[in-house]
Amino acid sequence: MLRVAGLTRRFGDHLALDDVTFDVVPGRMTGFVGANGAGKTTTMRIILGVLAATAGEVRWQDKPLTGAVRRDFGYMPEERGLYPKMKIRDQLVFFGRLHGLAPERAGTRTDKILGRLGLAERASDVLETLSLGNQQRVQIAAALVHEPIALVLDEPFSGLDPLAVDAMVDLLREEVTPEVPVLFSSHQLDLVERLCDDLVVLSRGKVVAAGAVSELAAGSTSTYRLVVDGDAGWLRDVRGIQVRDVAGGTALFDVLDDAVEQKILSEAISRGPVLEFGPERVALSDVFREATR
Amino acid sequence: MKTLDKPWVLIAEREITTKLRDKTFIGSTLVMLLIVMVAVILPAILAGKGGADKIGVIDDAGQKVVQTASATAGGDGYEATRFADRPAAEKAVTDGKVKAALLPDADGYVVLGKDRVDSGVEGALREAAAAVGMEANAGKAGLSPAELHAGTKVSLQLLKPGPLPDIVSDFVNIGLALVFYMTALGFGMMIAQSVVQEKESRVVEILAAAVPIRSLLWGKVLGNTVLALSQIVVIAGASLIGLLATDQADILEVVAPVAGWFVVFFVLGFVALAGLWAVAGSLATRQEDLGSTTLPGQMILMIPFFFSVFAGSSAKTVASFVPIASSMSMPGRMLTEDVPVWQPLAAIALLLVATVLIVRVGARLYERTLLQTGRRLGYREALALESK
Repeated sequence: MLRVAGLTRRFGDHLALDDVTFDVVPGRMTGFVGANGAGKTTTMRIILGVLAATAGEVRWQDKPLTGAVRRDFGYMPEERGLYPKMKIRDQLVFFGRLHGLAPERAGTRTDKILGRLGLAERASDVLETLSLGNQQRVQIAAALVHEPIALVLDEPFSGLDPLAVDAMVDLLREEVTPEVPVLFSSHQLDLVERLCDDLVVLSRGKVVAAGAVSELAAGSTSTYRLVVDGDAGWLRDVRGIQVRDVAGGTALFDVLDDAVEQKILSEAISRGPVLEFGPERVALSDVFREATR
Repeated sequence: MKTLDKPWVLIAEREITTKLRDKTFIGSTLVMLLIVMVAVILPAILAGKGGADKIGVIDDAGQKVVQTASATAGGDGYEATRFADRPAAEKAVTDGKVKAALLPDADGYVVLGKDRVDSGVEGALREAAAAVGMEANAGKAGLSPAELHAGTKVSLQLLKPGPLPDIVSDFVNIGLALVFYMTALGFGMMIAQSVVQEKESRVVEILAAAVPIRSLLWGKVLGNTVLALSQIVVIAGASLIGLLATDQADILEVVAPVAGWFVVFFVLGFVALAGLWAVAGSLATRQEDLGSTTLPGQMILMIPFFFSVFAGSSAKTVASFVPIASSMSMPGRMLTEDVPVWQPLAAIALLLVATVLIVRVGARLYERTLLQTGRRLGYREALALESK
């Protein structure tokens, strides 16, 4: 498990990170969201050792993270960049070896990933001759080529069209084994909601929410929604709930007493057809907005 | 654990293979090779080495004079070509088949030339004719050649002999300084460019996450030092072949003992500067910044270069102890003067200390500035930065 423990970072007088603590659990994708300047990139750079922490530490399997271990991590920085004038196969083999792969292994891994990304026939092309989308694929290949033990991806999908995102997600799902913790930051909340198991929300250098996406989305509310074929006005007289809104057959209410929603459901069925009933799921963007307010 | 033990080896390897595939680098090396070959071979051709001058004669006496002149000149200076009569010899001179002709005259000989006669040829023939004639006259007077020449021999003795003639000395001094200057400047700019390219393309962030930043620096310095030395070895090899092919191998006897010293001075000076050039690259954020960030490096090279070329001999002696400057002037001094062995050793010790210092400060600056991709930094500003 990758643990960020009490990370604090100052740039001069500016406190960029303030006691940031969260876990990235193996086999689960952890989404890392926050407004611009919230400190996501700073946190990721500290995890990768590119930046030093003012206080706090990054831990790996309950020990302080060392440079030797970190070398087996995969990293896709926010500012993309590879060697523009180097052939893409040579380039990926180089990065594989830089992360400690034997030359032959780096070669087979490169060929496999390039094939998977549909870039096999461009293997001996110079990077800068590729389209931006393809360069982005090579970039993610560079983060994956050495079979990383943990992945840190800073905005991996920004600038990609939906098809490319799907291809990239498939590759990630295939490459990332259950032992590998994955942390990725994104502005695309719908994407985070779709892909991530866990979520860490950062605001002005502080963690304001963290946990499983399902809990954060559902658990933050006790609001239910009922749609019946008829009038739902009778809900106003039910005890143990607080009605938020009734309009014709559609009602929105907060459950105050335990299990009262079940009684309401039976009541509704006895009164006529029920078209819809369930907890009102909050969109992640609402969680995000709420948390970072 | 699949961690690479020596990431700098891999960095050096990439640095080398990239350069070897770079057409500009290969092209400039070939041009340098060509220039060196021409410089080695051309003087030999112009000096007419590798063949004796042909002198036309028409009788035995003339032939003997030419042989004597040739023997005096060291064995292969002149070669007599026999003609039947005077008109035949004259025609050969006019046609340029012989350099000159030595013909009997009423009171000795006449040297016959076309439009002019080389003064060296004339002098040698004059001296030889006099010697041959006087020996013959002395024989008639009852003196042996040995008795005739007794007490007339003049030999040359130098109080402070240098290994090479003055003109050659100057050329060797300038040449060796130039080799270091050109190589250090050329490769220095390449190091700075390679660093700033990594910053510009942002690949540096991935590199820094994968290996310690110092490894990046060492890899670059190592790779470029290997390249620079190989380039010099190739060029030295080419000039060696040129020297052998043109019968000038005797120069090697003078150069060979200093070659080892040159390599030591070269490597130490080069590594110190390489550290500085890498910092010049890491202070910049774009190629255009290199003009100003490489200025200190250029000065550190240029000032000692002009000093070692134009300064007087005592100033040169001082310069040959000053680190970096010593890389340019000490090997040259050792070639052209008798330098006691403690001097190069002391210069190497000083250079070693300076190299270690420069590289350590350089590594620290490099670590602090490499990931600052926002804007160009100054040296003073970089020294004040906190790490990471």
